[in-house]
Amino acid sequence: MVAERTLTEKLKHYRISQAEYERISELLGRPPQGLEWALFSALWSEHCSYKSSKVHLRKFSYRNGMTRDDSDENAGVVDIGFGEKIVFKMESHNHPSFIEPYQGAATGVGGILRDIFTMGARPIALADYLCFGDENAPRMKSLVKGVVSGISGYGNCVGVPTITGYTEYDENYNKNILVNAMAVGLLEGHMNLASSKAEGVGNLVVYVGAKTGKDGVHGAAMASESFDQDIDSKKPNIQIGDPFLEKLLIESCLEVLSKNLVVCMQDMGAAGLTSSTFEMASKGRVGMDLHLDKVPQRDSSITPEEILLSESQERMVLVCVPKNLEAIQAVFKKWDLDAAPIGTITDTKKMRLFWKGDVVTEIDPTLITDSAPRYERPFIPYQAKRKKSMIEPVSSQNKDQLLASLKQNAFYKNKNWIFEQYDQRVGTRTVRDASHTVSVVRLNSRRDLAISVGCRPAFMRMDTRIGAIDAIIYPALQQAVKGFKPIAVTDCLNFANPERIEVMTDFVQTCDLYAEIAQRLDAPIISGNVSFYNETEGKGIPPTPAVGIVGLKENEDLIPGCVLNDPDLTVYLVQMPGVVSYAKTAEVLKKESSFSGDLLVPLLCDFVAAMTAFVAKTKPQVSRVVGQGGLAITLDKMKSNGFECVFDAGDSHLFNSTKFLFEERLYDFLFAVNSSQQVQFEKELNVLVNKWNLVSYVLGRSRRG
Amino acid sequence: MKVGVVTFPGTNCDQDVVKMTQAHGYEVVPLWHKDRFDINSVKMVIVPGGFSYGDYLRCGALAARSPVMASVKDLAKTGRPVLGICNGFQILCETGLLPGVLVRNDHGHFIDKWTVIETVNSTSHFSKSDKKKLRLPVAHGEGRFYADKPELDKIEEQGQVWFRYAENINGSLNNIAGVMNKEKNVAALMPHPERALFDWMGGSDGFKFI
Repeated sequence: MVAERTLTEKLKHYRISQAEYERISELLGRPPQGLEWALFSALWSEHCSYKSSKVHLRKFSYRNGMTRDDSDENAGVVDIGFGEKIVFKMESHNHPSFIEPYQGAATGVGGILRDIFTMGARPIALADYLCFGDENAPRMKSLVKGVVSGISGYGNCVGVPTITGYTEYDENYNKNILVNAMAVGLLEGHMNLASSKAEGVGNLVVYVGAKTGKDGVHGAAMASESFDQDIDSKKPNIQIGDPFLEKLLIESCLEVLSKNLVVCMQDMGAAGLTSSTFEMASKGRVGMDLHLDKVPQRDSSITPEEILLSESQERMVLVCVPKNLEAIQAVFKKWDLDAAPIGTITDTKKMRLFWKGDVVTEIDPTLITDSAPRYERPFIPYQAKRKKSMIEPVSSQNKDQLLASLKQNAFYKNKNWIFEQYDQRVGTRTVRDASHTVSVVRLNSRRDLAISVGCRPAFMRMDTRIGAIDAIIYPALQQAVKGFKPIAVTDCLNFANPERIEVMTDFVQTCDLYAEIAQRLDAPIISGNVSFYNETEGKGIPPTPAVGIVGLKENEDLIPGCVLNDPDLTVYLVQMPGVVSYAKTAEVLKKESSFSGDLLVPLLCDFVAAMTAFVAKTKPQVSRVVGQGGLAITLDKMKSNGFECVFDAGDSHLFNSTKFLFEERLYDFLFAVNSSQQVQFEKELNVLVNKWNLVSYVLGRSRRG
Repeated sequence: MKVGVVTFPGTNCDQDVVKMTQAHGYEVVPLWHKDRFDINSVKMVIVPGGFSYGDYLRCGALAARSPVMASVKDLAKTGRPVLGICNGFQILCETGLLPGVLVRNDHGHFIDKWTVIETVNSTSHFSKSDKKKLRLPVAHGEGRFYADKPELDKIEEQGQVWFRYAENINGSLNNIAGVMNKEKNVAALMPHPERALFDWMGGSDGFKFI
């Protein structure tokens, strides 16, 4: 029995520190009692409160004419004109996916979708960012299979195409895989942006969607802790998803929102009913009477504490004026879902929780939300890991053998087997699917939206500063070479234990860089998520601050291709001086790596814009940013239909040296154009080269290999 | 022309089919699974893809027993055209309007890719392209066409095979990608013509489908 537990046991059970216990006692004027333990445990968890990161996330405050400060809403919004708004966010589901990969990944997708449609936007695309361990590490094959099946099983059924992603395989993730999902929604003219701020004394609080069960109780607190050896004991913390219910929930929620029947709406994510209702009340500075026994329940043995903390999936809470209740219930009934009034908005500014008529807890919600601790975890100024002399691990090797051995690595193996399991075309907006370097969906205004994810862990491990700049700049450049302008960014900052100085140092360095890049690139960071404690038995993951970038092209112009599908295209290599390394290749070869040179944020950000303009003007047939594994791997990926780039130069030429082919240079670009475009292309290329101090070569021509 | 488009809970291609129908200038009549409808109110019915009733029990099995499908059966008897796409194919088999059944892909995975299908027998109602080979995308986990030997022979003999895959992607018997009833007014296929209307989608072989 809870009452008989000692204080130490309670602190452990609720994952509350001694210092936090003292702060809670001070706020309440007495020690916490009864349900208050569960409330503080959930909402003061790292996962819900962002207590270690919030002081740094404030740096992402840059906004422009298309964006506004909606950082306390469920996802960020970009108003792209013509009555269209884009709503997007990325979120982690790392801890649950390692324990139970199928359900972990599936509910990760479900959760991020709810963040989008709770704002009134229809989800139109999904993307994922996955980091697995070495493919031969224990459990890894089943983790990979489970995660991919989970994303596929959920996304396909709910009818939202999964159109792009990034998949890493590296031993640093053997005991902590990363599963990040991004959802993009479209909100059109007639729909209003829905708020999550509770308003209007006397209004009703309505619970909609699936019934509440005991699954996922304490999930938020679990996700705020490192793993120990015993992961099986955490299985009861895992939620179970039902994409069919989610599909019904999407349709019914968008229907009540489009009919203007709702004051505000919030999904039940981490810490379920507790976090949704407490946050709605404290944002609106109102009170709420909630009758926990009126919550639709899956099983009658469930306790009030479990109802508060359950993370059962596919549930939302909304507030409406009493006269709209009947119309709302009719919509949910049409979709065979529950819509149960469970409370009312009051002017008391207190949350009063009832169980069968009795008040079981009465508390000011802002004590739990706004008064959550804010930690300024210690860090030091970041110092680059650069070595004095550049280590060059490849030139002694035969280039063909080296290419063949790199292609044996899981990272470079064909990943079609993953994307073929995802429905990439439902919704009939897909212009470019996951087989392309940048995925694209078409809007009703006949403009194109590019969706990319970024963060290349090999560069992060090489140097946090270079890796973090690359995490945004590389996908931004990938969009630019397809003629898109990056317009906004979301992030999912995966790190180890923030109580370690070196982890916090990497985190702060990343935040500072992301803030600087977002402003200079004019692509605000409009939403995001932090996942700390990706650590097992004291060993943490390398910093992995994934990003999602959305870009816009204001027309239906043909997008340059990614592969050499035609004969006699002239292939150009364009180099921008920056960093030279062997980051990924050295890792695959298990050799030491270093790098030379540097990346300059202002220059790169301005260059992204110049590249977008260059491509819009010249319309090359093929364009690419050279990726990991250097020219050798990128040219190999460009082979298509029997065509490949055949070099003009002889064997002894620089182009054919192992060093030139395998160096990973930030940044090299490849373009291919046909003979009728060549004169115009070269004229514009000369202008670009002179203005930005680039180097360009004619590398060769596309021919049958 | 008025075209009825059926929506079940879990249908997720209905709006895509609506867009295809409207692209031809036809008027769409939404048909809800819980309601029977006046069969004279529409000239054609399309049963779109998705996961009707979550694909619980067996794909299409619950949908086949819905009120709307009772009306679709009545409409089919009058000779008016009924088209099933993907999950719609599964539903039409489960209602008995089409022969055979669709089971889990032989490799066990959901599969999304562009495929080439070949017209074997044509119907005057659907697929009006002159091309014999059509390039259309598939997206299904349970698209393996199956029928027992006598039924399969009958389907072949009576000219009810509509399309075959050029390359068998899911273990379908006789490479079957689409079938028709004997009267050729009810027809269905696993690939999605509504996802191949315009070149920007990756191909336009689905445009002349209805």
